[in-house]
Amino acid sequence: MSSPAPRRQSRVKAALPALFMVGPVQLMVISMIFIPVLFVAWLSFNESSFGQAPVFVGWQNYVQVLSDPYFWRSMTNTVIVVLIVVHLELLLGLGVALLFASGVPMRPLLLAAVLAPYAVSEISAVVMWRYLFDLDVGFATQLLTFLGLPALEWSINPLHGLILVALLSIWLHLPFTFVILYAARLAIPNDLYEAAGVDGATPFQKFRRITLPLLMPAMLIAMLFRYIFAFRLFSEVWLLTGGGPARQTEVLAVYLYLEAFRYNAFGEAAATGWLLVLASLGLAMFYLRRLYKEMFAANA
Amino acid sequence: MPKLVTNLLKTLSVAVVLIWSLVPILMIVVSSFKADRDIFAAPPRLFFEPTFNNYLTLWTNWGDFFHGLINSAIITIGATVLAVVTSALAGYAYSRFRNPLLSFSAFFLIFIRLIPPIVITLPLFPAVNMLRLNDTHILLMVLYATFFVSLGTLVMRTFMDQIPRELDEAAHIDGATRMQILRRIIFPLSAQGMVAVAVFVIVFAWNEFLFAFIFTTTNAKTAPLVISEMYGAVEGVEWGVLFAASTVQLLPVLIFVILAQKHLVAGLTAGATKG
Repeated sequence: MSSPAPRRQSRVKAALPALFMVGPVQLMVISMIFIPVLFVAWLSFNESSFGQAPVFVGWQNYVQVLSDPYFWRSMTNTVIVVLIVVHLELLLGLGVALLFASGVPMRPLLLAAVLAPYAVSEISAVVMWRYLFDLDVGFATQLLTFLGLPALEWSINPLHGLILVALLSIWLHLPFTFVILYAARLAIPNDLYEAAGVDGATPFQKFRRITLPLLMPAMLIAMLFRYIFAFRLFSEVWLLTGGGPARQTEVLAVYLYLEAFRYNAFGEAAATGWLLVLASLGLAMFYLRRLYKEMFAANA
Repeated sequence: MPKLVTNLLKTLSVAVVLIWSLVPILMIVVSSFKADRDIFAAPPRLFFEPTFNNYLTLWTNWGDFFHGLINSAIITIGATVLAVVTSALAGYAYSRFRNPLLSFSAFFLIFIRLIPPIVITLPLFPAVNMLRLNDTHILLMVLYATFFVSLGTLVMRTFMDQIPRELDEAAHIDGATRMQILRRIIFPLSAQGMVAVAVFVIVFAWNEFLFAFIFTTTNAKTAPLVISEMYGAVEGVEWGVLFAASTVQLLPVLIFVILAQKHLVAGLTAGATKG
């Protein structure tokens, strides 16, 4: 549809106040996020550290990062933590959402309890879980011992450390996943269940045929967001283990931080950063494409 | 009989959910009133003689922490006001106007949410030093607000989409200016959305660690950062005082989240359905 020139002009004119109104928000994200990210891309092709003029080195930083065993270690650790966190959290979130939907006593109080961890800072959560799993006096350690299970030696054994990070990360973010799934479950009309009940469906059939398919979109959205946010994990690991013992529990964001601020290798850190950005965009690719189509369909 | 079994299972599930969510928090709060010998008793003591010593020590030896609380409060208020105002304006534009350029900018906002915060600390660190903005409140306010305007705009737009357009049009015909329409109709009717955005930003800004850790040293140091210094103390951690500090930092925002839970749920839902 081509419109004559004067009309097009008036269209731009009509949109001017709107462009003004989105100005502040756009200015903020462009100056604080977008331009810095482009700068990181440029930095990643240069050799530089503090107080030193950057020198163009091509792909060298990427070669160095990709041949650094510590990078691969942090990559593996990130994948381990993300896989544990996202999938366990979704399962738990789904379980708690369905429990709430089936009717629970004192719902407002229980809801407040489930949302409570959302208010806790990462540092406080680390303090809590560190004390829970204290090898000598921790509640959780005592419980494990009581059940005849081995204690979680999170400060000695790297895998145990990552498991504790995953646990506390799930604890911190479960409210988010739960709310999204619970809201989606409440949006399913009750008539569907009633009709299925009349047709003699068992509870399990109702779950398989109604709940699960209708919750799918919300589950995919929650999963995508949790993938992207779990992937940038920093504070929990930094505060709990600092990446130790012997750099065995670093995740990608911690590796990046150490490269930049401890080893002054800004080029390598920038290359790592850009790889993080690309991976985040890759994770969200399908979502972005769908969104893009939707938005421009609305405009056609 | 099966009815009994399901009820039993349900009660058990509710108990597990309660224990999972609340025990870590309660443990810290309760232990902050324990003397050291009770903190390190095995098995853990449920009954003990409460003491305020940890809070006294916090008060006398950790002035830094209260300075941090004040900083956190200032930065949280600033970031929240900035984020709510800018998000409300942008949300209105996206809700009421249609044009390709706007659509593209909306897409850009969502795309921006995917950038990990740690990545932008690299170029910002030297830039911030050059501009003499390191260790200032204003820097953290702007950073925190910036990372929430995408979600904020989305939430505001969802809430404003529910306000009938006939209201704007009627006011427009009566000769109201755009500013008046915003002030008298749109903002009052989308107040719920503003509260939801405020809840997000308040919780985030009050608790944020990474940016505070990288961009502040003394003057604008926030409470979580001071707690992390207590926790990372080289010459042995004073657990009692650490629990007291964590409790003081946690309780206001915990009470706030519980009071505002309706808005939190509404906001999360509005932000998630639209992506």
